[in-house]
Amino acid sequence: MATIADELTIERRGHAASAARRRTNFVIFLGPAIVLTVLFFVVPVIIDIAVSFTDLGRSLRITEFTTEQYEKVFRSDRRLTQVIGLTFIYVFGTLAIFNVTFGLILAITTTAIRNVSGSFFRGVWLLPRMSPSVLYILLWLWAVSPTEAGLVNQVLMQAFGLDAPLDLLTSAPIALIVISNGFIGASMGMIIFTAAIRGIPEHLFHAAAVDGAGTFATIRFITLPALRWPISFVTIYQTLSLLVSFEYILLLTKGGPFYDTTVYALYVYRRAFESGQYAYGAALALFLIVIGMVVALIGWRFFDMERLLQRPRIEVH
Amino acid sequence: MMIHWKIGTAALLSAALVGGTAAFLAATPLFAQETVKLELWSRQDPSGPLRPGNVVKAAERLNKELEAEGSPKRVEVVVRESPAKGFDDDALQLLKVFGIGEGPDMFIAAHEWICAFQEDGFVLKLDDYIAKYPQHFGTIFPSLWSSAKCPDGTYAIPQDAEARMFFYNKKLLREAGYDDAFIDSMPERTLSGDLTMDELLDIAKQVVEKTEAQYGVLHRPNKGPDYIMAFNAYGNDFADPETGKLLLERDKLAAAFGWFERGVKEGVIPANNTAMEFDALRKEFYTGNAAFWMYGIWDLGSVAFPTYGLPQDEEAFFKDWGWIAGPAAEKGGSPVSLTHPIVYVIAADTKEPELAVRLLGHASAADLNTDHAVTTTHLGIKPEQLEDPRYAEAWPLARATELLKITKFLPNNAQFGELNGIIYAGIQGVESGRLSAQEAADFVIEEASSGLEDVIVK
Repeated sequence: MATIADELTIERRGHAASAARRRTNFVIFLGPAIVLTVLFFVVPVIIDIAVSFTDLGRSLRITEFTTEQYEKVFRSDRRLTQVIGLTFIYVFGTLAIFNVTFGLILAITTTAIRNVSGSFFRGVWLLPRMSPSVLYILLWLWAVSPTEAGLVNQVLMQAFGLDAPLDLLTSAPIALIVISNGFIGASMGMIIFTAAIRGIPEHLFHAAAVDGAGTFATIRFITLPALRWPISFVTIYQTLSLLVSFEYILLLTKGGPFYDTTVYALYVYRRAFESGQYAYGAALALFLIVIGMVVALIGWRFFDMERLLQRPRIEVH
Repeated sequence: MMIHWKIGTAALLSAALVGGTAAFLAATPLFAQETVKLELWSRQDPSGPLRPGNVVKAAERLNKELEAEGSPKRVEVVVRESPAKGFDDDALQLLKVFGIGEGPDMFIAAHEWICAFQEDGFVLKLDDYIAKYPQHFGTIFPSLWSSAKCPDGTYAIPQDAEARMFFYNKKLLREAGYDDAFIDSMPERTLSGDLTMDELLDIAKQVVEKTEAQYGVLHRPNKGPDYIMAFNAYGNDFADPETGKLLLERDKLAAAFGWFERGVKEGVIPANNTAMEFDALRKEFYTGNAAFWMYGIWDLGSVAFPTYGLPQDEEAFFKDWGWIAGPAAEKGGSPVSLTHPIVYVIAADTKEPELAVRLLGHASAADLNTDHAVTTTHLGIKPEQLEDPRYAEAWPLARATELLKITKFLPNNAQFGELNGIIYAGIQGVESGRLSAQEAADFVIEEASSGLEDVIVK
């Protein structure tokens, strides 16, 4: 009896020790990430919510707690509808044309050609992402300069005989911000899709070829099904990224002409930092956080991301 | 004997004590000299490096004065430079700095911002100090003081003034078919109210149509004061004279925006003027690709002479170049010009307000201010500067002074800086074709009514 009791005690000790070890491991491995998340994501959101209920103005002083900022958002801000509409066009335009579709085309074409050439072209498409944003936009400003010295105008006037230089910053500002952001965004999709395509076992392509599949049939029936999860991931990730980033737009068009390229995140910036209405900026930013969360949740359900996170789907055993 | 000894000892001790005290007192200024550091916030601004520079020089003068007075204090100026692009950005930045309690002792600002600082209690009321030091402030032009006032008193010391105008290229006007008599009479006709804002557009249109020049009228590509001159011409003063509150008059705003709208429709003002770079705009004008440039007198000393080599000799300059005031809206109306004084301001919580006032008093000395005026073509602040031969030689100053008769200030309202941002967005909307003149007037009123307080709309 005594021996059984002893064994039970030892086993219980073992359980206790493993539970303690699990707790220690939890603190060691997840602790830093949790602290960083709380410090840089949760706390700022709480501060943002608090500030949005104040009258924090240009001299950073709070004199009262108020719901005035929210009244402004819903009642008197006439620019918001236009800004939200533009944000929708910008995010989905960039995403649909460049970040997913063009990224996919780049991945498929650069994996279909010789490895050296493929790597070279991928390297070229990575340049926009590698160059500092200010430098990248300086090049754009030169390219679309409304004078005869601008790259686009030089090409159009000398090669195609255009009479007067085009002013794309005034006549097509939305297209410009979509293209300039898309050139950068495409590279991320390109890399992820390339990795995924490389993960597809070679024999499937050979089998398809033996079955008489042409290039498009191979892409349609072999490549694309294997890319479902990377495409879902890139779509959700880039949607969120495009919703909140505005530095390239600020540098290229300053949100203009007028409010034509002022997307929501830039609108928050202009209100808060160009007009000194910090509390109003905080209220607007809160809606951006909410929109981001809603978009993420919709994407999660729509693409069934839960299944993606269970186990890898692109490996075929 | 005993008594003698006591007296002798007492005498010796007294002598030692008196001597020691005297020696100590004599040595005190050496040992107890106290350096007071006064921090001056100044925007890095190539159009006025002597604004902070003169304060640094003034410290030497003040220190000599303090030495002569036997004061143990000495002043050292620490300049804190801000990289802001313009005075508006700089003021917004500085308001935050004050808000977190890190404000400087003194700062340099555009006059229309001082009431924003005064409203939050950041700046020192100066009326008593100004009265106390007539030797420093007594002769500053009375008209300039009005730009340094908030509703309950004076909060700044004028540092300079200038005049804003439409520069024009006479060569292009001649090429367009105007004769010298017409061209040379333009300044006089403008001042008498005969030349109107629309005639200016007509002249510019002739230049664009009949010469190689691409542009008729160019203006600044960011928020600032000059274009307010065009609004003034159409009767917008932006402040209610009785209450000092912001005043927006829909019809007058629409009339002013209408001028910009017509300018673009006539092909005179480029639709992308607000998207162009400052330097590119100057280059277009000074290299002969634009008829008019709406800007200010200091541009001659800061850019036109040194960068584009415009003739510095008066006669040679006026042969091919010239300027007119802002024309009247209609024949017989009032022409306009705008002056935008830059001011010195002292923080309410500085530990040494008296020394800061005296320091800025020395920085406002006629000779130092003339150094600034003649090197950057800004107007002086005191009548005695006019007698300085250097000032008399700087002909742009004397000629620009003629405009002071009709000059106006921006309103010293704490919210004007924000309103100006909305007006600028309106101009951008009109020029880029996103808004009609009437819609721009409605836009300004809507934005101002929802974002600013106490706006009177008529």
